[in-house]
Amino acid sequence: MSATQTDPVLFSVLLGRFNSIVNEMTLTLEYSAWTSILALNRDFSCAIYDAEPRQLCMYDALPSHTASLQLVLREIARTFEGDIHEGDVFACNSPYRWNSHVGDLVTVAPVFVDGRHLFWSVTKGHQMDTGATVPSSVSAVVQNVWQEGLHIPPLKLYDRGVKRDDVFDLYLSNVRYREHSEGDLLAQLGSVEKGRERLVELVREFGADVVTSYAEQMLAYSDRRMSEEIAAVPDGEYLGEGWVDTDGYDAFDIPIKVKVTVDGEQVRIDLDGSGAQARGGVNGSYATTQAAASIPFMQYIDPDIPHNDGCLRHIECYAPEGTIVNARFPAATSAATIVPSDAIQDTVNKAMAAALPSRVPAGGARCGNTPQLAGVDARTGEPWGVMLFNGTGGAGGTEGADGWPLVESIGAAGGVKAQPVEQLELLYPIRIERMEIETDSMGFGAFNGGPGVRCEVRPIAGEMECITFGDNYANPPHGVLGGTPGIGGGMYVEQAADGSRAFFTATAHVVVREGDLLVGVSTGGGGYGNPIERDAERVRRDVRDGLVSRTAARALFGVVLSDDPDPVLDAEATAALRAELAAVERPLVDPQEPGAATWLEETRREGDRYLVNPKGVVVGDDD
Amino acid sequence: MTGRKEDAVDGSSPGTFRVGIDIGGTFTDFTVIGDDGSVSLWKQATTSDDPSRAIAEGLEWVAAGLRLKTPEFLERVSLLVHGTTAGTNAVIQRNGPKVGLLATEGFRDILYFRDAFKPERFNIHLEHPGGFVERNLRLGAVERIAPDGEVVTPLDEASVRAAAETFRAEGVRAVAVAFLWSVVNPAHERRAAEILREELGDVDVLCSSDILPEVGEWERTSSTVLSAYILPVIKAYMRKVEDHLSGLGLAHPLLIMQINGGCASVDEVLRRPVNAVHSGPAAAPAAAAWYARELGEDDLITVDMGGTSLDVCVIVGGQAGMSRKLQVESQPIGVPGVDVHSIGAGGGSIAWVDNGGALRVGPRSAGATPGPAAYGAGGTEPTVTDAHVALGRLAPEAFLGGQRKLHDDRSRDAVERAVGEPLGLDLIAAAGGILRVVNANMVGAVRAVSVERGIDPRGFTLVCGGGAGGLHAASLARAIGMKRVLIPREAGTFCAFGMTVTDVRHDHSRALHAVSSDERFEEVDAAFAEMEAEARERLEASGFGPDQIEIQRSVDARYVGQVHEITIPVPPAEAYGPTQMREIEERFNAEHRRHFTYAREGLPIEFLHWRVTGVGRIPETRQPAPARGDGRALVPAGTRGVWFEEVDAVVETAVHWMEALSPGDRISGPAIVQSSTTTIAVNPGDVLSVLDNGSYAIDVDIESAAAAQLTTTTTTGANR
Repeated sequence: MSATQTDPVLFSVLLGRFNSIVNEMTLTLEYSAWTSILALNRDFSCAIYDAEPRQLCMYDALPSHTASLQLVLREIARTFEGDIHEGDVFACNSPYRWNSHVGDLVTVAPVFVDGRHLFWSVTKGHQMDTGATVPSSVSAVVQNVWQEGLHIPPLKLYDRGVKRDDVFDLYLSNVRYREHSEGDLLAQLGSVEKGRERLVELVREFGADVVTSYAEQMLAYSDRRMSEEIAAVPDGEYLGEGWVDTDGYDAFDIPIKVKVTVDGEQVRIDLDGSGAQARGGVNGSYATTQAAASIPFMQYIDPDIPHNDGCLRHIECYAPEGTIVNARFPAATSAATIVPSDAIQDTVNKAMAAALPSRVPAGGARCGNTPQLAGVDARTGEPWGVMLFNGTGGAGGTEGADGWPLVESIGAAGGVKAQPVEQLELLYPIRIERMEIETDSMGFGAFNGGPGVRCEVRPIAGEMECITFGDNYANPPHGVLGGTPGIGGGMYVEQAADGSRAFFTATAHVVVREGDLLVGVSTGGGGYGNPIERDAERVRRDVRDGLVSRTAARALFGVVLSDDPDPVLDAEATAALRAELAAVERPLVDPQEPGAATWLEETRREGDRYLVNPKGVVVGDDD
Repeated sequence: MTGRKEDAVDGSSPGTFRVGIDIGGTFTDFTVIGDDGSVSLWKQATTSDDPSRAIAEGLEWVAAGLRLKTPEFLERVSLLVHGTTAGTNAVIQRNGPKVGLLATEGFRDILYFRDAFKPERFNIHLEHPGGFVERNLRLGAVERIAPDGEVVTPLDEASVRAAAETFRAEGVRAVAVAFLWSVVNPAHERRAAEILREELGDVDVLCSSDILPEVGEWERTSSTVLSAYILPVIKAYMRKVEDHLSGLGLAHPLLIMQINGGCASVDEVLRRPVNAVHSGPAAAPAAAAWYARELGEDDLITVDMGGTSLDVCVIVGGQAGMSRKLQVESQPIGVPGVDVHSIGAGGGSIAWVDNGGALRVGPRSAGATPGPAAYGAGGTEPTVTDAHVALGRLAPEAFLGGQRKLHDDRSRDAVERAVGEPLGLDLIAAAGGILRVVNANMVGAVRAVSVERGIDPRGFTLVCGGGAGGLHAASLARAIGMKRVLIPREAGTFCAFGMTVTDVRHDHSRALHAVSSDERFEEVDAAFAEMEAEARERLEASGFGPDQIEIQRSVDARYVGQVHEITIPVPPAEAYGPTQMREIEERFNAEHRRHFTYAREGLPIEFLHWRVTGVGRIPETRQPAPARGDGRALVPAGTRGVWFEEVDAVVETAVHWMEALSPGDRISGPAIVQSSTTTIAVNPGDVLSVLDNGSYAIDVDIESAAAAQLTTTTTTGANR
């Protein structure tokens, strides 16, 4: 069917119906999942693909999943070519079979109507455990595919409607927290089934030919709008450079290099020159790297454009094999969706800052403060584990808006929830002692980064393992267009006995003894625009509210205030100071060198220890 | 003054009245029901500077219509329920008083952090929604309680007094006290409140353990802060109305409509002010539930379509769906509320073509000013109302009883210019397209509260209220596969009517962790007993006898280790044990399967919040049976060309005035039935009948609906 034969009304109707089907899939998974990583942190994506498979529709899903799902679906379809039937449900988690990382389990059902395979109903969910050597599905410690957990090639969970109990058993026998993992798997399958049922209903209502031809039009519509958006970006080559803190072992400030070529309606992102493959689990898979390279462009365009294959086809990515952005088997890619993905996204944004100044965000937190905590509850003997999202970092400022707090990572784009403190304390043997904004933790700008958070956790019944798999302690979120960077932040353990403190890197595995305190101070996002352009009244309120110190208000924002608790603005002095500061040139992107974070240096006191990539170190036994 | 009345009764005969008063943005609606079943409807222009003035003026007109003086009328009023926007408006307009928050030291930013969720992942320019307490008034008290209620850190009273000092210096009018784990041990909150009252005198102080005694600090804190924010406003307003009415002779206490769909005395509402948010719209389900009883149908979906929004609510088994996830201005409300789902689809919703060439309707609305292009008041963008005018569905001369002349030429111009030309459609196709898109949006809203929650709406009756509902009702029903539509006689003052038939309702809850595999549940038994005693006591204090009081028990349950709960009814029992638990498990498994496609039978279930709802049943009202028609053939008032989606064509259509119809009359579509406040479109193939109580039912011809749909998809061409 050509575009001229499209009924614009039916088009809108069907577009709305696809959205509501995916929304229903999303609610089914979110509200019936077992573990907080799916039920609250919403680390999952639901989507509909056509038979080919091309993405037709996703809804409020994780960009790092939805911009790469087509790769693993194609692999599943290729593997089972000629053996795809009504009632089948497939699964796959292997990054070497074009999945993102081993933590993400894809479950997908082909949707047949009257014997015709029309769609795929897909859910990808991050599992709390993969049976890795450490009790975390994400880790920088692991060095190969056998250490990061069970790799699942494309296989059938259901074969023509018959559940394969042996396959379920094999999977569940290889992961921790079996009851919970089974619950999560059932919730994912429930979501896939919801999508399948609703798609069959849709086709019965409108007819297969009508639905598929309009699905084609949905792709053409997005394609058309995406073409216009990309065509409006000046053609040219744009360069950016960023750094990953460490490989988890002995490499530091690993470079990420990006060359973006905009040519008419097409964008090509080339990561040649990026650092060598990492020893630890912080390598990218091809799927995560091409997603990370695409996402910034998906955020530059009008958010109103339906995100589907029609958009994605305009962006291509080259990632040389054997580097940190595209590891070679059997290297571990355990943390791939965050490290190096977040740094890649940030670097694309840096590259595009001059060409698209009103569209690029400043740098955001790259998962530096999202520890996996685990232990055995001394009161019950039960093992427990939770990924903690209550102290994560802030987003970068953008034109028109300060960044949000607690966005966790750039890849999550704010779509993850944290657990209530009371729920955490009810479920796990920990006490949260503080969860509060950290003054001056964000980058300053005309629009500030979202603030960082001070989050303190005390294990109260048995020791607590703390596994971190992030970035940004050494290389903080950048400021853009004159904005300043975030602080970088970090974590340490404070021993109850003597108050001594042990700091550690963003890729660590430490054990916190019962009664000691785990302290995280997350970075705020980078600032957008020159701070002297920030509305002085907003700066005054930031100071009154303790978000920004008086010192910073004066030195960077050029705002002069009285000493009152509710300070009074000295407009005249402010104007004069701002005129003075205007003469100071601020870089387009700040910092321009690796290792620029200052938080650790400023926070460390004499006697504090610093553990570099510790592997299972019990804090207190580390001297 | 504007007004309208129907079926005025002679006030000289003895009898009592029930009155519902609903304040909206444009009109204050009155519904008066006599104990003989007579109904008076009245619309008074809202006086937004002092809403109580419109109440006084309206009551005067209503009384005059009954040939009574206001005091004579009020003496005979047995029930007066008021739905007020005072609370909601203070929140939406953010013009409430300065409030303070005292939180556990280290946790004062909980309202800012929210649940850490930022919506719209691809919109990086979205601003944080902010809150209702500035950070310099969010202070910490040194104290800490553990999940089992044990005191970890005793309350440092000096830290409370220091906070009081700041609150005083800043001139706060109300303070919310919300500490961690106050739900299991409220001692610290209570002591802190005592100190604050001592220090601050007449400042209102509210404790989270009183407002929302449930686990989850964000919702509990938000609910308490919203309460503090609106309390000074609604207290002044409600006391004023109360004094005014009792001064005029109202013998019974004024009742306020609550968010939970029931009403309560002013004192009760001021104890938990957050219940006064969304006070008006929450009455729609009460009206619908009344019709459910009247019609003997338990399953309804109500849609209330006004100028800017469509409010949708599902009634299953005669009960409105409740939600604890409601928000106002992006702040969680926390208390259970009638689950009214709103979308920006009303008569004033604007149609536009996006830059990819797709036709869109809403969510932007032309509102009352400038209003649709047809109003001739400066609006130039085409609205849903303009599409109706252009398609002959709304008569220019009949709108609001002729009080407002509609300019059909302006409607046509607007539709052609903003939709027809960009899309290459003729006027009819463009205007028809607007209606089809808005209908599709409405279908989406109905699906969101039904199929997306596992409810199949096809056996349900669609109840339509609001001025614009009747024009969309039958098409909406057909698209969803619903066979029957009801348009109440009181459609124009639907919520005010709901207030005259609602019950008094109080919700109680207790956080108490338990697992279904436990042997004994003494604490649960005791909690239920206490909550029931409290519920009865409060209802008895409002004058309800034992036979009018109904107690409902429920619990928030999940499989052990699961994260989200679902609320299920609990059978009454003196002492819970394994027998009751097996029944509860069965209910839970069935509900879980219905919502999520699967259940894990055999796994134990854990419980978090035990709930008791106390309902004081208002005696049933009856409606009069207007004289049936004499069986003469109906003669339409005229005919005009009207477009119907089902045939995608303009057909010559009979037009009837509602006033000329009598119970028992039946009209086959295509037809238009109009009055001064509402218009009903009867589609080809459908049949409208006038019910004994004066309302209208449409039997929807869904059999041919599938065929019609297919016709639509093949013959409606864009660029013909």
